[in-house]
Amino acid sequence: MDAARLIVVGCLLSVSSGGPAIAADRTVSVTIYNDNLALVQDRRDIDIKGGRQRLEFQDVSAQIRPETAALAAADISIVEQNFDFDLLTPAKLMEKAVGQEVTIVRVNPATGAETREQAQVLATNGGVVLKIGQRIEVLRDDGLPVRVIFDKVPDNLRAHPTLSVTVIGGHAGTRPATLSYLTPGLGWRADYVALYSESDGKIDVQGWVTLTNSSGVTYENAHTLLVAGSPTQVDGGSPNRYRGPQPRTTLQQAGTESGSRERLGDYYLYPLAEPTTIANLQTKQVSFLDVHGVPAEHGYEFRNSWLGTSETPQSAKSIYSFSTSAHAGLGDQLPAGILRFYMRDKHGDPQFIGESRIDHTPMGSTLSLATGDAFDVKVRAVVDKRTRLGNLDWQSDMRYELSNALPRPVTVKLLQQGLWGDSRITAESQKSTRRSADTAEWAVTVPANGKSTLTATIETRF
Amino acid sequence: MRWATLAWILATASAAADNIAASPPVELSVTVYRAPFRAAGSINLDGLAGFALVSEVRNVHLPAGLSRLRFEGVADGIEPASAIVTGLPPGVIEKNREGKLLSPSALIAATLGKPVTLLRTDKKTGQPQRLDGSLLSDAEGGVVFQTSEGIEALRCSGLPETFSFTGVGGLAAKPVLSVLVRSAEASTRTVTLSYLARNFDWAADYIATLSSDGKTMDLGAWVTLANGNGVGFPSAQTQVVAGRVNRENGEVEPLDAGGPILAECWPRGSTSDSSSIPRYLLQFADEATRERMDRMFKKSAAPAAMQAISVTAARNVQEEQLGDLKLYRVPSRTTVASRQSKQVRLMDRLGIPIARVYGADLAADESASLAPAHLLIRTANDTANHLGLPLPSGHIAVFATSSGEKLLLHESDIKDRAVDEDVEIDLGDSPDVQVTVERETATAGPARTQEHVVRVTITNARPADIDFELRLRMPAGGRVVHADHPVGNKNGRPLFRLIVPANGSMTVRYQTEYPHS
Repeated sequence: MDAARLIVVGCLLSVSSGGPAIAADRTVSVTIYNDNLALVQDRRDIDIKGGRQRLEFQDVSAQIRPETAALAAADISIVEQNFDFDLLTPAKLMEKAVGQEVTIVRVNPATGAETREQAQVLATNGGVVLKIGQRIEVLRDDGLPVRVIFDKVPDNLRAHPTLSVTVIGGHAGTRPATLSYLTPGLGWRADYVALYSESDGKIDVQGWVTLTNSSGVTYENAHTLLVAGSPTQVDGGSPNRYRGPQPRTTLQQAGTESGSRERLGDYYLYPLAEPTTIANLQTKQVSFLDVHGVPAEHGYEFRNSWLGTSETPQSAKSIYSFSTSAHAGLGDQLPAGILRFYMRDKHGDPQFIGESRIDHTPMGSTLSLATGDAFDVKVRAVVDKRTRLGNLDWQSDMRYELSNALPRPVTVKLLQQGLWGDSRITAESQKSTRRSADTAEWAVTVPANGKSTLTATIETRF
Repeated sequence: MRWATLAWILATASAAADNIAASPPVELSVTVYRAPFRAAGSINLDGLAGFALVSEVRNVHLPAGLSRLRFEGVADGIEPASAIVTGLPPGVIEKNREGKLLSPSALIAATLGKPVTLLRTDKKTGQPQRLDGSLLSDAEGGVVFQTSEGIEALRCSGLPETFSFTGVGGLAAKPVLSVLVRSAEASTRTVTLSYLARNFDWAADYIATLSSDGKTMDLGAWVTLANGNGVGFPSAQTQVVAGRVNRENGEVEPLDAGGPILAECWPRGSTSDSSSIPRYLLQFADEATRERMDRMFKKSAAPAAMQAISVTAARNVQEEQLGDLKLYRVPSRTTVASRQSKQVRLMDRLGIPIARVYGADLAADESASLAPAHLLIRTANDTANHLGLPLPSGHIAVFATSSGEKLLLHESDIKDRAVDEDVEIDLGDSPDVQVTVERETATAGPARTQEHVVRVTITNARPADIDFELRLRMPAGGRVVHADHPVGNKNGRPLFRLIVPANGSMTVRYQTEYPHS
């Protein structure tokens, strides 16, 4: 049965060139970019008859961008290229039969006897009007069963949108041709699994490329190449000075090391080792990274917005950071994706502890990823007092209460954001560092099962 | 040449790999996580927004060479990208999840261009007629087929018509995860498959019972967990995890669950139609199709009603630390059945000392008419107060006992509370205690300031003294300059701590000052 199925598939995949279909030796290469875009190169033998000829490609992506399609073969010239999306449905079939003859078969509901007549379709507006001999009738107006039989399918109605290329061939004969086109619906990203060991502060990381296909067709035995990067132009953002609160950056330090992976321009290439069949609606994963025992640091972070004050303590974020350097790191550049963290429970079973998205990361970088909120480490930020010093000068007395219900001391990286313009910290209970003009940072140690308080007086011009 | 092609396909196609089914799970573990965005409150059985980590141990016999190892019966909410398979030989080539499921429309789509048998039944005699033909199109819900008689459309004639298929085209009812693996030698292995799956959730459900003197309460809680998947997990090690874990809005890998065969026809208007609405859109070959359509168009695929709510005997879950999260282990193996919500005892604590505090939170300088005060119960999550354990977020119902009868006082949501944190339980408004605010004077002071004198009156119709907390909201730079009661501070805002006498009232006068803007 499998063999029979494959023969049928083989026939379906062929190019039909107007008349007889030709089974073709076929090689498909798929280059997939990150942002839902792929370049498909479909190489097959086509039978050129010499002279003008129409070639149909029925098994291309249903989401093909027809304007990017290009057919290349020796000794042919292309006259025109069409993308037909008039689909074969019963309504279209009837519509295209207007003015033509169809066969109608009336079935006698009492006896089951069939009566055949020729009819001409006059109109299909709202209902089907037929001319039978000299009589005009509305199809099945009485609700009795009537079959309608058409002689043939109109030329340009098809089950799927179809790309056709009209060519003028030089010499007749079979020769290889390559059809290439861009299509959305194919995409990939990376998925990482990191198992963190609390006892020795190390992580094991596995990386998988995850390939998805919603383009509507299956690519059999495709040579697959994944490109880490987005060749399309993205919106560069507005040049305005104020950009609102920035999302937490995961990349702490950009790396400067080069790996051994293949590159194309500034993109990294991830070829799959062997041809693979990418079925429609399939999710496929292939391993590309497996590293053990990379040192990782675990810490806490809390960001307070300008004048942020909370009635109840808020959880600090739980942060894991590690390096992608060749020395004491993952030793590879990381394509963008989601990194899922696991940790072993008391029975030794891995449990999920949160995930974080990472961007394309060069080798040698430092990543700091938030996996979630700490249950036991909390911060309450309070604006104790706002005093007006002058016309536009204000003094804000900030108090940060940190609590730790863990049986070990922790250090929380406390960030006060929003120190725009001429803002200065005039007094503080612990020395801060200024990460940037807008953000002050304190590393506050909270004792085991204890509390710490940090105060700061901030003068601003707003 | 065709044979050469075929041979090439057979040689290289991954379909050439032997299909090997893994055994059903011999060991199961389910860890349920809460909906990441819900800081407090109960689960919603109609839309379980949490997820679970499912680990299944299965036995596999792998032959030498290339094989496709299939894991059947995984949860329908599986996130395929999260799947981890351990215990396989090193030659794992790829992991796949097929997204096309077996359905009537998928069957039609899979048979497109292939031979099919048309089955037409004579309504009078009941005699079926079988005709060989092929399917030409299923575009836009209509079905066109060809037989030796010509080209026709399915179910447009008014005769009972359907197709009879020869195979299911490799489609499966549920998402199937498969691993393509090349093994150097035949082996029997124990393989662990772990994955995240959606459509689970859990929350804590607390019941607080106040003592008759109102000075202590008993606090009990259930872990309520639910599985909205169509797959059950018999005799599983079950855990729940408290604390918010980060989830990215991961793209959901597309899944085509399919649908019925619509068999749309050409326009079917008749001479008696008065309306211009195309009736054919609403006409279906039979009643059963219409019902199916109704079900399909109903908003979202609502899960079938939860079958049962089962209460496990009161053996408490065991808490342990998992990184910065709390893991609760259900003490013995339990069955997390399909579409079931289950309750396991979380804790029971007796005689927790509480303070009943009335309060009002007012704009400092605005008059306000009589309004009931707010009541809450306050305690601290420490051992001195018979607590001192992490309290995961959820829902709390507060009961009081009055002459032996239990009475519901109030229900509210509570957030995660760590050890040593203050715990406040909302009891709603109390009509017995009313608050009114009158602004006596409003004057412009020197140095561009605004000054107000405000009087707040609190009346108490209860037969006991009450603790009352009056808290003020002020514009930036505002402060209380004088008051006839001591002013405190809570989270940067002025606070009066008062005791209002039984069946009495109390007045507080204060003067505020703030910069004129």
